[in-house]
Amino acid sequence: MFFARRLLMMVALVLLAGCDDVMDDLTPSGEDKRPEVVFGSVGAQVGQIAPDFTLDDTLYTPYTLSTELGGARAVVLYFNMWCPICDTHANHMRQHIVPDFPTVRFFLVDYVSGSVPLSRSNQVASGYTDFTVLVPTSDSFTKRYQATMGSTVVIDAGGRIVRMNEDYLDGNKLRATLEALP
Amino acid sequence: MVALRFSLRAILLAGIACGSSFTSPESWAASCCGGGSSSSLIMPKFSRAVMNLSVDMENYNGFWNSQGDYRPDPKDSDLNQYRINLGYAHRFASRWQGSVILPYVWNNNDYTGLISNTRGLGDTTLNLWYETFDKITCVWKVRQWADLKPAVYLGGSLTVPTGISRFDNVANSFDITGRGFYRLDANLLVEKTIYPWNALLLLSYGKYLERNVNRDYGNYVEPTRRQLGDRMLATLSGGYTYFLESMDTLTFTLAFSHLQEDDGRIDGRPDPSTRMEKNSLAGTVAWSTMDRDWIFKGTLSHAVPRNDWGENFPVTNVLSFEVSHVLR
Repeated sequence: MFFARRLLMMVALVLLAGCDDVMDDLTPSGEDKRPEVVFGSVGAQVGQIAPDFTLDDTLYTPYTLSTELGGARAVVLYFNMWCPICDTHANHMRQHIVPDFPTVRFFLVDYVSGSVPLSRSNQVASGYTDFTVLVPTSDSFTKRYQATMGSTVVIDAGGRIVRMNEDYLDGNKLRATLEALP
Repeated sequence: MVALRFSLRAILLAGIACGSSFTSPESWAASCCGGGSSSSLIMPKFSRAVMNLSVDMENYNGFWNSQGDYRPDPKDSDLNQYRINLGYAHRFASRWQGSVILPYVWNNNDYTGLISNTRGLGDTTLNLWYETFDKITCVWKVRQWADLKPAVYLGGSLTVPTGISRFDNVANSFDITGRGFYRLDANLLVEKTIYPWNALLLLSYGKYLERNVNRDYGNYVEPTRRQLGDRMLATLSGGYTYFLESMDTLTFTLAFSHLQEDDGRIDGRPDPSTRMEKNSLAGTVAWSTMDRDWIFKGTLSHAVPRNDWGENFPVTNVLSFEVSHVLR
């Protein structure tokens, strides 16, 4: 009994030691804490102007955001690391989203491979040669977009991030966002 | 004479040996998907308490995609998760026992140059078990129908999200040590030993509780209500026990486990992206001292890197070492 009490005390102490992160999951909040943004400013938040970029794809073809937006209703960036969830998302997007929005440009962003040859190898091995895969060679691009595995960014023709820079989840929000485009 | 003495002692000790504290052979994690889960801990009949310490070393070896096809990890990736699990089981009454398992998790990942070394608590599991039997059910020979009666345990588990999940302030998916959801499980464990053979069936059905989400991988997002899909686990194992000259025992066990989770839900809509399935094989060698007060185990759990052995989940091998001390 004495041991049990000591064990429980130890557990409680350990929990309290990591209080911040533990409490987030023990008592989750539904409060909207997204930062307010100045519309028209450049940044990664919804409502801001997406940072322009030029990146090579896996065939060394350069793509510039502003140029792509000139010929499309929107650009969708999906941040991919060739993992199970990424595969589920990308496959869902390929089957259920891309065919319905022919005037939208879809890109996978391989933010982990770090080099074009390795990214091409992963693209082929994973079966995504039908997608254009952009290859940032440093993590500054991913940081600028505050992105991580599964982040999906929708940029409208005006260069503005609309409705989402967040996880793909079930793809419903992406569909709704694209359907609401002018 | 020696043989006779051996078998008499063996019979006398059978009651003690039977049900030497066991943990579920199923142990699964996956740092990129949460991980940090631990198995249940059950103590033998007539014992007062069990202390358990186990160390898991999990190595990642590709994944199954949503179609069940095996895919290797990218070149130059080396993904590992290490866990130390502290467990304590206590008997409250002749038929009731409860336990707590607290994992501490280290993630050590190099994913094509993306290096992550993080550590923290995993998700804590609280278990309550009811034993439907009063007498030890292990037998040496089947002389009547009653000898075939198995030991049946009915249990409930609560998983408490004490780990670091994707909904916490994490930089990336490699930082997480837990799944972020409370879960309630109903468990059925059936075990039968007819020396030297034993068999075990564990069935578990779990329901995650819905929760608010306003942050994902460190970024605040539009608030939603999320829930992971119902979880089903089935483990079937068979073992053989050698009684050593010293009357210590050596038990070899082979197990097959099937684990799956249904579609999750986002604001009430189905979310197929969290659906998963995993089949795995495990081999365990357990050495128990003569009085069965100390049990040492080594387990290798292997997920087969082939198509249709899983879905939407990492393929991993887990090497575990475990020490249990039974207080009578």
